[in-house]
Amino acid sequence: MPRGQKPVSFLAGAAIFILLEVAALGMLHASSTLQNIWLNRASHRTMALLWGGSETIRSHFQLERLNQELQAENAALQERLRAYERLEADQEELARMAAREAAGYRYTPATVVKMSRNLTHNYIILNKGSEDGIRPQSGIISDRGVVGIVEAVDRHYSYGLTLMNPQMSVGARVGRTEIVAPLSWDGRTSGVAVVRNIPPHFNIEPGDTVRTSGYSSIFPPDLPIGVTGGTRLVDGSTRQVDVHLFQDFSTVRYVTVVENLERSEMMALEAAGEGRP
Amino acid sequence: MRRTTLKYILLFLAQAILWNFFPFSQHLTLVFLPAMLLCLPQERGTIRMMLTAFLTGLALDFIVSGQLGLTSFALVPVALLRRPVISLVFGSEIFARGEELSFERQGWQKFVPAILLLTAVFLVLFIWVDNAGTRPFWFCALKFVLSLLASSALSVLVALVMLNESGERWK
Repeated sequence: MPRGQKPVSFLAGAAIFILLEVAALGMLHASSTLQNIWLNRASHRTMALLWGGSETIRSHFQLERLNQELQAENAALQERLRAYERLEADQEELARMAAREAAGYRYTPATVVKMSRNLTHNYIILNKGSEDGIRPQSGIISDRGVVGIVEAVDRHYSYGLTLMNPQMSVGARVGRTEIVAPLSWDGRTSGVAVVRNIPPHFNIEPGDTVRTSGYSSIFPPDLPIGVTGGTRLVDGSTRQVDVHLFQDFSTVRYVTVVENLERSEMMALEAAGEGRP
Repeated sequence: MRRTTLKYILLFLAQAILWNFFPFSQHLTLVFLPAMLLCLPQERGTIRMMLTAFLTGLALDFIVSGQLGLTSFALVPVALLRRPVISLVFGSEIFARGEELSFERQGWQKFVPAILLLTAVFLVLFIWVDNAGTRPFWFCALKFVLSLLASSALSVLVALVMLNESGERWK
């Protein structure tokens, strides 16, 4: 305020100045299109600056609530995504089963009801039985490889031996050499099996993949079993190879029972061949 | 009617004729309205001066440009700043003594900066609002400088005309 001027006079002067300027702008706004547009634009810019800033401040104080809402929405979306993934996996599995069935095998999904892991002779019980089409001497597999073989079947349940059972043996094809030899659990280490009776002149490199041979009437060929580890000569005449299994038996829950639809025919042929002089 | 008021009206008409019939260039706005306000008698307070400026601008817009409010918008701040500019350039004692401005006593050396300041205030607002963001800054700056120089020169003559009588009275 200028020196010597009364506050009332100063305020009145300021008020009249503002009033006259607003009146001038109002008239300009109404009388000229160009100035009208310009003033409107300036007004919008000012409004955006004022209310945009206040909106930013307001939203800053709502961040915690927004975060909670986002977390809840994220969880719901993840749940939906998992459901879709399960559905997609189921459809893929059904498609695979249909393709494999066409190749002479029938695949039945099952859930592990009970499974021993710390015994010498470990077993597995599945929730599918004869009423579901499960037959003895069917293979039990998962997406990680071979799990076991069905030994006995009830109406609603099946009993099988897992690969962690010395009584079970699977025909395996080892690595790039393609040598086929029986694979069974070593009886000591969880997750490690051995392939026996490999001729000593075969050089097996660690890290080679071991798959089912397809020579048995139980498992289809080329199912993954594990990777090779160390090798050693036994009695100087055969080589023995450690195999680190793909299947983690401590986490297996869902499996597939695979039945060779032509097994009875093969067995009959085999019996007929054995009966010949 | 006092002679000052008559001179003010005649110069207002001259300004209207100048704007209406002599649009020299896009780069030039010749204006001496701030000088006219500067030379009005000191007895008129700031509020009365602002009302005079508003009505002068409005009348000029009405009969010349058609953009009602444009000249009023630029001229009212000139009226508001008239007293501070006089205090700054001529000294505040002029109000204490109740003197009127005079070319003979204050000299043109003081009138020129006062006219420059008030004309600059007017031109800044006038050019800014008139262009309404449609022309580049350098165009507006050039127009401002040219208009300020030409208008200030013309305004000194206008001030001479406005203050002729009062100057004689103080001799």
